[in-house]
Amino acid sequence: MSTAALTRDDTWAVSSRTIVYAAIGAALYAVAAQFSFLLPGTASVSLRPGFAIVTFFGFAFGPIVGLFVGLVGNALADQISGWGLLTSWNWSIANGVVGLLTGLLGIWLAATIRNRPMRSAVAAAVAIVIGFLIVFSDIWLGTAKDVGVAFASNYLPVVVSNLIVAVILTPILVAAWDPVRESIGR
Amino acid sequence: MNIAPRYLGRGSWLARRDPRVLIVGLALFVFSVIQVWDLRILVGLALVAAVYYRSARIPFHSVRLQWAYIVFFVSFIVLANTILTGGDLRDVKSQALHVYFRMPLLNTPLSAESTSYAMAQYLRFLSMAAVGFPIAFAVAPGDIGPAFARLGVPDKFAYALDLTFRFIPSLAADMRATIDAQRIRGYEWEKKGRGPIGKLTRTVPLLVPVTVNAIVGAEDTIDAMDLRAFGTGRRSWLRELAMDRTDRLVLAGFGLLLLAVTAASLTGLTRLWVPPFLLPA
Amino acid sequence: MEGLTFRYRRGRQPAIRDLSVELEAGEVLLVAGPSGCGKSTLIRAVNGLIPHAYPGDLTGSVWIDHARIAERPLREIARMVGTVLQDPAKQIVGSTVEAELAFGPENLGVPPAAIRDRIAAVMARAGIVGLQGRDTAALSGGERQLLAVAGALMLTPSLYVIDEPLANLDPATAARLMAILRELADEGHGVVIVEHRVEEALDLRPDRVLYLDAGEARYLGPVEGFFEVADPGVVKVPFEVALAHERRLARRAGLSEGWAATPKGAATNVGPPRLVFESVHVTLGDQHVLRGLSASLAQRQIVAVLGPNGSGKTTLFRTALRLLEPDAGTVTVDGERTTQRSVAQLARVLGYVFQSPSQMLFARTVREELLFGPRNLGLPHDDGFAMEALRRTELHDLEGILDRPPLSLSFGQQKRLALAIALALQPPTLVLDEPSAGQDHGTATRFMAAVAGIPGLESVYFVTHDVDLALTHADRILVIRDGQIAADGSPREVVQDEEAWRACNLRRTSLIAANLAWEPAPGRFLDAVTLARAVLAHELAGRSAGEARAAGEGG
Repeated sequence: MSTAALTRDDTWAVSSRTIVYAAIGAALYAVAAQFSFLLPGTASVSLRPGFAIVTFFGFAFGPIVGLFVGLVGNALADQISGWGLLTSWNWSIANGVVGLLTGLLGIWLAATIRNRPMRSAVAAAVAIVIGFLIVFSDIWLGTAKDVGVAFASNYLPVVVSNLIVAVILTPILVAAWDPVRESIGR
Repeated sequence: MNIAPRYLGRGSWLARRDPRVLIVGLALFVFSVIQVWDLRILVGLALVAAVYYRSARIPFHSVRLQWAYIVFFVSFIVLANTILTGGDLRDVKSQALHVYFRMPLLNTPLSAESTSYAMAQYLRFLSMAAVGFPIAFAVAPGDIGPAFARLGVPDKFAYALDLTFRFIPSLAADMRATIDAQRIRGYEWEKKGRGPIGKLTRTVPLLVPVTVNAIVGAEDTIDAMDLRAFGTGRRSWLRELAMDRTDRLVLAGFGLLLLAVTAASLTGLTRLWVPPFLLPA
Repeated sequence: MEGLTFRYRRGRQPAIRDLSVELEAGEVLLVAGPSGCGKSTLIRAVNGLIPHAYPGDLTGSVWIDHARIAERPLREIARMVGTVLQDPAKQIVGSTVEAELAFGPENLGVPPAAIRDRIAAVMARAGIVGLQGRDTAALSGGERQLLAVAGALMLTPSLYVIDEPLANLDPATAARLMAILRELADEGHGVVIVEHRVEEALDLRPDRVLYLDAGEARYLGPVEGFFEVADPGVVKVPFEVALAHERRLARRAGLSEGWAATPKGAATNVGPPRLVFESVHVTLGDQHVLRGLSASLAQRQIVAVLGPNGSGKTTLFRTALRLLEPDAGTVTVDGERTTQRSVAQLARVLGYVFQSPSQMLFARTVREELLFGPRNLGLPHDDGFAMEALRRTELHDLEGILDRPPLSLSFGQQKRLALAIALALQPPTLVLDEPSAGQDHGTATRFMAAVAGIPGLESVYFVTHDVDLALTHADRILVIRDGQIAADGSPREVVQDEEAWRACNLRRTSLIAANLAWEPAPGRFLDAVTLARAVLAHELAGRSAGEARAAGEGG
């Protein structure tokens, strides 16, 4: 299989390559969690530069890798910080869905946006806006009291901060990876 | 920051359990807790969580930071839920609130009900965290993959979990090496200036080399896996997991807890309860 | 293997061309050749990664025990061919030693009890019983290499393929590895070992040698015949072989001018100390790495730091640049305590070059990459400045170099770029960590010669585990063992202290013996080719002194 162009046939194929990239991405997300910082002027909106790993891996290596990196990476980062693997399990799912959607949108938008870094930014942005709708499940889980709280203190901060991160960092990672991809001859 | 898995609970009663017990137990417990707002029941659940946590024998001084982080974030969530909502509470009409006073500026009422709610929220999160902690510190890192595999997760993905734990220490070392390499070029991540966006873009000299290197290095790992027939058929796991009587009892306990709580919840017994001492005389 | 030719999908030319070899049971085949000679491709064709994982044009075929590799699934091939890849750190997939060993059998669905028995047997056989229960992340390079070999043993294949196993091994571990491989061959297994360190690989007593160059077989036959054709500038052969090679060349082509460069002696005026350690102690985690180490490195000196894995040689310079802080003791640079300066200020005196260049490359263009440091430190940072750094590392000729993405450069070019990046801060001294990492013998030698020739540089300090590289490129050798200086002096002085040399688990190569015997230049050791030519020139001069004198005057 090839890393160069994910064709429809191998979008959902799970090879050793998929597994290794997924594991590397999830581990990187956990390692990069140390660079998170609070946005000045807010009490809870933290920028997590490591989030770009989710959108980048989803875009570069497909929806399966993106799903794993988001889901496992976020659960692991939560577990390392002490928050617990499953305490915010719905947030981990949201992260996974963002990775998955970035991968799918990357393929769907291939004909529309030729410039890969640009395409990755658009795919990531759309994926974030849609994928994080899952955090509204906090209302049902009781973490957020109503739609207002869920929107103001969950959805909006996570979408805004991750949009900033992903739109800036994903294209940079794609631009750095693309020339290397060419030189790994398979 | 030390991100390598730390097996702090090694040898404890909980660490001797089948790792599946810890994972399934946590899931059952989380689903029990999220149904409950009644402080009396929550205290009971928190006690269960505390006993369970104690049985992992995780030394407190090794996890101080993690607990501080939890308390900080729970406080934030609680504040957001009590202040942002203007004091409205689920199940309670605003006329029925026992208001102590209204906060200056925001005009949000602080009431006996919102105080009870905050206390319940704290207990919920702290007990979920207490039951979740042992998965990080009382399961041998090598057991995670087999445990998930035996819970029905496909072999390949269960192995991906194993592999994730294999990569964390080496990627953390790569990250340290890159930080050093860039410091030599006058780079400091902690440097002040250029605002949050500047701080964000300052991670580029770290994230790019570590990510690209990891992917390039993956070629050898992929070859090594293909050469040893990974993913070519059903795989076995060296680690055999077997539940003993205690394991089954623990799981049955968590299962019963969930059943009981669900029953109570259906009959309306788990709604917000205001302790009498909070009510103004 | 019959008429094997393979071209990668992206490749313009075949990576290997028309290779035919027949390997008997119990035979050891040594494959030698420079980087890029096609040996990785050869390995992949034998172990089935070609065509199963690498698409491309394959003609000819590989047969193992009458099974045609291209037609068999990887699951079956895994039981026929055991492969040990070059970098043990990357091929290990298990978190613990047992998990790593179990990986192959698990994938084949072997029952756990049988795997457990096999692990016990293999650990005993590979002599790694002591590693039981260890985390793979905490193993040393040598331990990892042995573990990788043990992983291949788990599936009881009939053929073993080992890619450059000696790159990171100290002599003791190398000897253990060779013993295991020899035993396998004696039991009737086939062994293919790819290695350009031919001198060391001879310990395995290979039956035949396949010499690859540009994808073609230049030679296939017994070791003696290989020595007639081997190029000592490319593969590392015993010194006598290099001498014979140069003698043949000289006889055939005659001596051209400048053929035997007059060897330069070591600098005699080394100047005041640049870097001084005074009873420095450093702890990493729970390991006491440097234990009261004292040393003084001079301003105009080429110093090599040698020592076994984990002896503290890399820690030494990381401490000098304050990437690590000592627990006790002082470090001074140009007479000033390092605690007075920042990491980057120290890098302006000691230009530090990391082992792997890609660890730090991140920018979109070579220009940005080069100017990152100067910009951070408020130094001049225009194109001219960038070009000057490239010129000093001979990268300026590459077309459009300033605008190319650094990560698209070849490995060798990236190594030079890493040098240029360090030089952009205009340090008088360069510090290199394992400069030979990832390069073959010939390339590493040329790289070090290029470093020594960088204009305007006062001194070079480098850390290496390659004994010959250290001895032939340095005026002074520091040997570190257990966090202290075990030997210090000129190449001749340190190797003459045989006891210390062996205690540090360092190899006595044929080149050492030759340099000791001939001593061509005061205070310095020469590499094999240069020494061979010097010796020949000396011989000729002895034979016809008049002729030589005339040539000398003419030159």
